[in-house]
Amino acid sequence: MKRHYRIAPGAPQPLTDAEIAAHRDGKRLMFNYHRALHRMHRRPLYRDPKSFLALLLIVLLAYLLSESAQKKREEHPIPDPTGQQP
Amino acid sequence: MTKAGDDDALVRAAQADPRRFGILYERYFNDVFRFLHRRARHREITADLTQQTFLKAMLALPRYQPRGLPFRAWLYRIALNEIRMYWRRRSEVTVDLHALEVMPLAEEIGLDGREEDLAGLARALSRLNDAQSRLIELRYFDGLPFAEVAQVIGIGEDAAKMRTHRVLATLRQYLVPHK
Repeated sequence: MKRHYRIAPGAPQPLTDAEIAAHRDGKRLMFNYHRALHRMHRRPLYRDPKSFLALLLIVLLAYLLSESAQKKREEHPIPDPTGQQP
Repeated sequence: MTKAGDDDALVRAAQADPRRFGILYERYFNDVFRFLHRRARHREITADLTQQTFLKAMLALPRYQPRGLPFRAWLYRIALNEIRMYWRRRSEVTVDLHALEVMPLAEEIGLDGREEDLAGLARALSRLNDAQSRLIELRYFDGLPFAEVAQVIGIGEDAAKMRTHRVLATLRQYLVPHK
């Protein structure tokens, strides 16, 4: 990254320890740490046996429903509203 | 016990129990805050970047191997990555410095700190590439010893010395027409 430097005369406004201390928050750090740790170690759904079975069941159900709907359409085709024969 | 040795003991304690990280947080918060504030120049942004630096340090702590070097240098390395992420969408970054901050560098390259000298120095610094700027900032604006500069950048101490001297030579070269 290209830097463009500017040098102003004099000394910088020093940050006092008290001003910095106002931003120190160990409790927030620990809270964020535990939250991040929880996210890092959370197992994805497909790796949890119970969730995996539930997912499999949902996929199977969706497949069976679509198959049965397809079969129904083939047995009872929807008539063409114009009445024209193919 | 030296500070680095003391750091190692504290790091091992924090690796065993993350709640012990609080001591390192208290010890280095001000240093990391000032380090980031020199670059970001905005208190609220600096506060966020500092929290993020310590959070990343805590999460990476199990992989940290104490080698007798100051823990601070490792934190600075993480902090540099944070500031780089903060700057990532900009093609150019403006760094505001004060005359007093650049005096160690000005003296090193033989300038006496007059206004025109500092203007020339700012122009010369602006011609450096990212790696060269980083070296100069760590060594002269943050005032780190070469061992820590090397650890922050991830090179050997001798290489850090050699590269810094090369950058100083480049700066002197850039300054020749302005002398």
